[in-house]
Amino acid sequence: MRNLILEKIAVLYLRAILIVSVWLLLRGHNEPGGGFIAGIIASTGFILYAIVYGSTAVEKLLRYNTRNWIGSGLLIILIAVVLPIIWGKPAMSSIWMTLPDSISAYVHIGTPLLFDIGVYVSVIGIILSIIITIMDVLKWNS
Amino acid sequence: MGNILLLLIGLLFLVGVLVPFIYPVLKKRTGVVLSVLPLVIFIVLLLELLSIGSRESIILDSTWGFLSGMEFSYRLDGLSIIFGLLISGIGFLILLFSSYYMAKYDRQPHFYTYLTLFMGAMTGLVFADNLFVLFVFWELTSVASFFLIGFDHHLEKSRQASLQALLITAFGGLCLLFAIILTGNITGTYRISELINLSIHLGNHPHYYLVLSLVLLAAITKSAQFPFHFWLPGAMQAPTPISAYLHSATMVNAGVFLLLRLYPVIGGTMAWKYLLILTGGITMFLGAFLSMGQRDLKRILAFTTISALGTMVLLIGIDTPNSIKAAIVFFIVHGLYKGGLFMIAGIIDKSTGSRDIYKLNGLFRGIPVTAIAALLAVISMAGLPPMLGFVGKELVYEAQIQAPGISWIVLPLGVGANILMVAVSITVFYELFVFNKSKPVTEFKYHERQFPVTFLAGAVLLAILGLGLGMSPRFLENILSNALYYIQGHSMEIKLRLWHGFNQVLMLSIFTILCGVAIFIFRKPVNRVISAFINWLDRYHLPTLFTSVINYYIYLASKNTRRIQHGYHRFYLLTFFVVTIALISLQQFRITEVILPESGFSPVKWHVALLLFIASLSVIFAVFARTRLSAILAMGVIGYGIGMLYLFYGAVDLAITQFLVETIIMIVFVMVIYYLPRFAILSSKASRVRDGIISIAVGAFVTLIVLKAQLIKPDSRVSDFFVENSYTLAHGKNIINTILIDFRSLDTLGEMIVITMAAAGVFSLFRFQIQRLKKKEEEASHVERFEKQGDD
Repeated sequence: MRNLILEKIAVLYLRAILIVSVWLLLRGHNEPGGGFIAGIIASTGFILYAIVYGSTAVEKLLRYNTRNWIGSGLLIILIAVVLPIIWGKPAMSSIWMTLPDSISAYVHIGTPLLFDIGVYVSVIGIILSIIITIMDVLKWNS
Repeated sequence: MGNILLLLIGLLFLVGVLVPFIYPVLKKRTGVVLSVLPLVIFIVLLLELLSIGSRESIILDSTWGFLSGMEFSYRLDGLSIIFGLLISGIGFLILLFSSYYMAKYDRQPHFYTYLTLFMGAMTGLVFADNLFVLFVFWELTSVASFFLIGFDHHLEKSRQASLQALLITAFGGLCLLFAIILTGNITGTYRISELINLSIHLGNHPHYYLVLSLVLLAAITKSAQFPFHFWLPGAMQAPTPISAYLHSATMVNAGVFLLLRLYPVIGGTMAWKYLLILTGGITMFLGAFLSMGQRDLKRILAFTTISALGTMVLLIGIDTPNSIKAAIVFFIVHGLYKGGLFMIAGIIDKSTGSRDIYKLNGLFRGIPVTAIAALLAVISMAGLPPMLGFVGKELVYEAQIQAPGISWIVLPLGVGANILMVAVSITVFYELFVFNKSKPVTEFKYHERQFPVTFLAGAVLLAILGLGLGMSPRFLENILSNALYYIQGHSMEIKLRLWHGFNQVLMLSIFTILCGVAIFIFRKPVNRVISAFINWLDRYHLPTLFTSVINYYIYLASKNTRRIQHGYHRFYLLTFFVVTIALISLQQFRITEVILPESGFSPVKWHVALLLFIASLSVIFAVFARTRLSAILAMGVIGYGIGMLYLFYGAVDLAITQFLVETIIMIVFVMVIYYLPRFAILSSKASRVRDGIISIAVGAFVTLIVLKAQLIKPDSRVSDFFVENSYTLAHGKNIINTILIDFRSLDTLGEMIVITMAAAGVFSLFRFQIQRLKKKEEEASHVERFEKQGDD
């Protein structure tokens, strides 16, 4: 049975929660937040969507399958780790862009931010991969 | 000039990785286009060879490296140039050769990728100036050869052969790694140039014998020396171009190279001499002996390679300037004729479809140019003038005669092996190319005219090169004296001549040839004896023995794994807790101070107390819960309670994470709860009492630890460092976050990998089940459709 109200709520919640999660991701450097938390929060949006619309719908929404998300997240982390070598620093040291004060008051851009983005993407991939797999096995609304 | 070499080695790897993208554009021309790269390396090295002085080495430093002390620096000296020339030169010819030979194979991009990477690894190996870099390339050659030997991976035989080669050579690689670390610790440097310049010799160090045995193990496994020789005949499962490359210039010769390279550091002692002479001597004779009884041309050649490698190792073991010189010359000789002969085997295979020397007959008719090249190569193998092989063999004899103190055993072995080599050479050529009325006439699938020039070029060029160097071996004198200077540390004048005059060595050569011809004439009875011997030997078949050892090892490992990984979650927890308590209580007894803090406890806040009360209540509820759902919910309350506790004490990030993780766990629980088996209390009273005692003990011990943690006062507090540097170094005010993604990002990386593995575990556990479900659905829908059609 379709539940129109729930369906609308799921879509709205997903959109809102994605914005919140990106906000959390970016503010994480100065205030509570960060890639891991933002990743979990974003995935709750997708989970609700999956519960309402089914696992195939959420897979379609994600475009690439969840394993590719995990892989891309890890790849971003790897890039963030290896990038400093180009500047002649040891791997995993942080490199920051010098930005005008108007921007750097809110967010600093550098390899740690890239690292955090990688964590964010792979956490989404990991949680959804587990949940979707379980849903598929249990034929839970698929 | 040399700097370009750095670039070229890097380019080999880059091109190797990019082959899958290049191949669709170039199609069948890939091999020819790729061959430009080794050709350029060859030319660069040739120019270096002509310009380098006899006491000069060039160090190419690249400041780039993975870790400090592991810079990718290269060194050019006589030894590395000689090896590099053969690797790049033969590599060039092999690529040309395989562009036709491999034309009908599937997965050609794979082939070219592996081959180019192999070439790059081998080139890097001989030029590396850093021991660790040498090791990295050494392992890369093992891995690349694993893929190349098992290229026809649909055949059980080649899979087995490649696995065997990998296990044996990777074992040697581990030994080498260990030896390198030991050497680095003892001497304080990993640079070969520093080791040579400071003339460090480990001979008197207490760990010398350990280092020596590890290096020797690495070398004899790689170079297929007795008793590890058996992987090499197996490795001929590889496509012929690979065999040609593996045997002539790369892979198996890496062990010989390693011995020569590390000679200044560990060579020249009594143990070194006797071990090398022992293994080299046995291998030399055994290889030559076993090659007589074979029918397959490639197999014959494989055994002669083993014999030749044994000769080189033996010569290094004899340890006189003459013997080292002979070893290097013999390496060149062997590379030239063996590369040629393997390519000839490939040509014969392509044109007739067979490699059995007793079935092929009168091939001169169809492939005359190849036959002439084969004649030259075989003459070189037998060590007859005017080929370079003659020069090489004369040097070997000379070195064996002069071997101090052991000449009486080395010389007969050497002469015996050479007699057999001569006999094998004549037999091979006679059976293949001379027309014999008693054998059936061979049908040609292709005649030589139908082959492209690139296919024949390799064999012919190598044969001509062997002839040319044999006529004027002076060309090699300068580079040889350079090589010897860096191996043995003193320079000597080197004279290479085809004609030595009428002396002891020449007499031996004539004797060898006469005996060889005699064996050839009586080859039938001799072959019978050798076949009988091989049959007897097969009872102690080393490859089978090796496989059964490996199988037993796997059996043992799986047995132990089953014992440890029994699959009962409760026993895992039990083990974990009991071990933890045991370890903690050991530590506890060491601190005997008063547990309670002197200043007393801080005043208890009422909301914390309330929280703790609720959490404790829910623990008790969870323990005695009658349904699963209530137990789960109670556990959830505890989780959220802990999150609240974090919040009260100001750990906002922790609290958020705790809440979110609890939520996700709840969702997963709710999803699966319907499918779990009925909730029941199955454990007996005794086991419940046991579990209760353990859990109470764990709780008590954790409380004790928390109390005792107050007593430990570290000198510098880590958290102060983070507080001070969070904003200045990491540009962040949130300390937790700067720790996570900046100061300790390695930990975070590790955690990410762990949870990725968890996701992969869940996925792979359920994947088959999902597939089965889908299949069932498809079948059901198929049946439905079928029934519908029936109705229509």
